[in-house]
Amino acid sequence: MQSALSQFQDAFVAALAERTAAPLAAWLPDGEAEPAGLSVYRNTIAKGCIDALAANFPTVASLVGDDWFRAAAALFARDNPPAGAALLAYGEGFADWLARFPPADDLPYLPAMARLDRMWTTALFAPEAEPLAAEAFALAPDVLAAARPRLHPSLAFAWFDRGLPGLWLAARAPEPGEMTLVDDPQGVLVVRPEDTVRSRQLDLAGFAFLDAIARDGASLGQAITAAAEADPAADLAALFAALIADGVFSGLAPGDPA
Amino acid sequence: MPPTAGLGLKPQHYAEALVSDADGLWFEVHPENYMAAGGPRLRALEAIRERRPLSLHGVGLSLAADADPDPGHLAALKALADRFAPFVVSEHLAWSAWRGVHQPDLLPFPRTRAALDRIAGNIGRTQDVLGRTILVENPSLYLPLAGHDLDETDFLIDLTRRTGCGLLVDVNNVFVSASNLGYAAEAYLDALPAEAVGEIHLAGHGPDEGGSALLIDTHGAPVAEPVWVLYRRLVDRIGPRPTLIERDDDVPAFAVLMAERDRAHGMLTGTGAGARPQPLPAASGE
Repeated sequence: MQSALSQFQDAFVAALAERTAAPLAAWLPDGEAEPAGLSVYRNTIAKGCIDALAANFPTVASLVGDDWFRAAAALFARDNPPAGAALLAYGEGFADWLARFPPADDLPYLPAMARLDRMWTTALFAPEAEPLAAEAFALAPDVLAAARPRLHPSLAFAWFDRGLPGLWLAARAPEPGEMTLVDDPQGVLVVRPEDTVRSRQLDLAGFAFLDAIARDGASLGQAITAAAEADPAADLAALFAALIADGVFSGLAPGDPA
Repeated sequence: MPPTAGLGLKPQHYAEALVSDADGLWFEVHPENYMAAGGPRLRALEAIRERRPLSLHGVGLSLAADADPDPGHLAALKALADRFAPFVVSEHLAWSAWRGVHQPDLLPFPRTRAALDRIAGNIGRTQDVLGRTILVENPSLYLPLAGHDLDETDFLIDLTRRTGCGLLVDVNNVFVSASNLGYAAEAYLDALPAEAVGEIHLAGHGPDEGGSALLIDTHGAPVAEPVWVLYRRLVDRIGPRPTLIERDDDVPAFAVLMAERDRAHGMLTGTGAGARPQPLPAASGE
């Protein structure tokens, strides 16, 4: 048989969820049918979840406005309560949930904004690693081509078949400019080499380069080849230099001699 | 740790907290906000910790649940305690986690003798893992419950005797709970043994926007005057204790919070804004 404390906690959780004090009747003093205190707990719990989602998905919140966001976040939290006390990571399923949320049907870009916000928040709290400076890559060409880079633990990148990264970056700018959604595909990279999260658009060659390393453990030479195949017109030296400057590499292992 | 006044540390105040030269200033954070692998928040806390004492004040361990403390949460708490060497680690007499779901609030329970056994065990388990004793804080209460075997003060005192834990007395919570449940805040505070009290919290409260007569522990306003009166009365009886100004909502400028902190600091140390008016010197030749 369950302990009295377990029974109480089951009843309390039911009273919170069902929005009635009835499950708690055995523990309530006579007379009060729907005590105001239960609403206080309900409201505090909802506020805790909604505030955490607002902190973790700031672009979504800024695009839809406070009232819309808080109403949607309350519904998400009701069906997807936090699994743990650290709310830094709360909202894992929010992007997918928004994609199925009928009131967001006329905002088809919104799930991608949530996904990009999540990439940013995840980078913010990712493990530390020293980014490699340009000097680390000053090697003989054949040695450099064979070396296998390690990507920074905070790095995330993705490819979208519409211009959603540009829309997200514009919305996050300190003084958001004009936000237009272009139909061209775009990539994005997010990385936090030190204190600050950096994010920028990634072209197809840059995406192919990082994808070859992340997916296949490619050497730098193989990654450059993947980039050139993705976009024969790409400026590969500029692409590589920009990634180094972004701090996306945290290690470089010598490769097998060719 | 000398009994001075501290401030709840907010990310928007990191830069000012780092350079403040206030006498005896210390900071407190919720460890849950730092349970991350890395990032600027942990770096900022590390920099501030190099200059100031730190307290870890947990809100998520769920000591009053009828379940063992979550091992993952406890391990994360221990990692932070080992890394930041806080002068105190505290938690609440409340529950929030149950059957895999976390309710981000501090929930009440009937204070039965069986609950006392369970919670004493949870505190003991926590202290074993951390390798140190903790302080346990009185919660703010909103719901009258039937079925209590013990008053909250007796319950807390029994926990200190059984586990060796100390008490974190939140004077605002005492004021709010006494108002909401209809008892005397003074009598509550007078029942707490001085030697058990390791820290004091002060925060602001507000009315229930839902329209009831309840007071809400919002941490969203300055400390109310009646709470300062209770605080002075408590410190007069038990002596100075590390005292924290908590503010988590509608957070004002650092300087505004420091003015409240300085008031508490003055009351603890007999200096500055919070000092008592000095008695006139006694006439000579008495």
